[in-house]
Amino acid sequence: MNHGPVIFLAAFLALTASWFGFVLMPDIQVGGLQQTNMVGVAATYPVERPGLAREGLDVYRANGCASCHSQQVRQSGTVCNVVMTDAGTNRVAVIDVLTQELPDTSRSEIEQMLVGLPKTVLKGSDRPKANRMVRALKSSGAKSSLSIVPVGPDIARGWGKRQTVAEDFLYDDPVMLGSQRIGPDLANVGLREPDARWEYLHLYAPRLEVKGSIMPPFRYLFDERKIGQAPSPDALALPPDLAPPHGYEIVPTRKAQGLVAYLLSLQATAPLFNAPLTVPPSAEPTAQTNAPSKNP
Amino acid sequence: MPEPIQPTPIAETGEPQASQLAMPVWLLVLMFLLLYWGMVYFDQHSGWFNTEVYVPYYSLAEVQEFQPPTGGVDLQRGKALFDNVCALCHNPDGMGKPGQAPPFVGSEWVVGPPSRLIRIPLVGLTGPVSVKGQVFTFAASMPPMGASFSNDDLAAVLSYMRQSWGNKAPPVTSDEVKAVRAQIGNRAQPWTPQELMQIPAK
Repeated sequence: MNHGPVIFLAAFLALTASWFGFVLMPDIQVGGLQQTNMVGVAATYPVERPGLAREGLDVYRANGCASCHSQQVRQSGTVCNVVMTDAGTNRVAVIDVLTQELPDTSRSEIEQMLVGLPKTVLKGSDRPKANRMVRALKSSGAKSSLSIVPVGPDIARGWGKRQTVAEDFLYDDPVMLGSQRIGPDLANVGLREPDARWEYLHLYAPRLEVKGSIMPPFRYLFDERKIGQAPSPDALALPPDLAPPHGYEIVPTRKAQGLVAYLLSLQATAPLFNAPLTVPPSAEPTAQTNAPSKNP
Repeated sequence: MPEPIQPTPIAETGEPQASQLAMPVWLLVLMFLLLYWGMVYFDQHSGWFNTEVYVPYYSLAEVQEFQPPTGGVDLQRGKALFDNVCALCHNPDGMGKPGQAPPFVGSEWVVGPPSRLIRIPLVGLTGPVSVKGQVFTFAASMPPMGASFSNDDLAAVLSYMRQSWGNKAPPVTSDEVKAVRAQIGNRAQPWTPQELMQIPAK
């Protein structure tokens, strides 16, 4: 019996189906992604990485950073907090509202809430309850604001403010998502360690900056050279046991500069429609300063 | 002496053959039901394939529920209105068009006192206008483009203009728009820049 055409057809259908699922559908979903507007701020996101940081992406890729570091912050949910900023003048009414809205809180705890504002009076609630509380506080003369707070294990570790979305990688080619977390997640490393000197020292000798770090040192990204007329401003300030011989200095190469510029540009905290969060009023949105804060 | 037992030959019944057997109907129905349930489950848990919906959220409505409050002025709406109405002459990047409209980027009229800025879209503007030291003269005056906007919408557009393209001025509130509307009353004559300058900054 000749089953050739049937086998061919079955194999063709199986491969086509997976091509639809793995190639075509994702391309339809995010292939045409463009810059988007931040929520509540008249600015677009993301901003293209500066040239040096773009070079750094290639260094990041070439050194296999993505085999130990991921760049995806996950989020398990979103909660609403209510922050009271001003108790107004009608203390009795405000206490009444709080007693009504927070039935499990004792009277003395509520009175404590009015001291030392601004204070979070409602934590981890859903939107309707938080909205109701903001309205009730407003009618009692107090001022409060509702903040949207993403939550999840990664966010609790301080690895980000919100989950990673496709927009964060719009200008990256290839996208260095990473799959293992032998080291910490780097999606927001530019926010955690905004100091270029810290990054250089950490690349040169990881254990200088992080005790017990298992990251290998990347000393070949640095040059040891004779000090010229004056020491270079980029030279690393190393402790005596690592310092080069007298008259020499350790300076980052172009590759190290690119890598650090790239790391500093990793700041994915802009409030977007698909990843909503409330930016603290004092903090400037970070995407406007996507460029490294301290250029080496 | 007993006879040796002769093995009786097993009757050959021929090669076993597969015959056609109809698939039970209940199995087919069950398969289709499972397939349908699987697809619905897949759809629901991928936000109905909406690209704006990421994992902790299961639907667009849920994402919308968690949009932070905008604090009175909706800059998104401001941008949408600007791009639809104002950008025809003033360009989406706020740079204006030669011979048609002056730029907004860094313009002292835009980032200046709201009391003057709000008046311009409500009844229009005519005459040579100086922006950043450069005098612009246009053949036609600006029509009252914002007169039909609600107070909220006009506040949103003006706030968007004051906070975009590098402009950094405090937003215009809809109460301010309401107050200015009441002050100008039924005026239909477009403003001249000189008239506007006489209006107190606050």
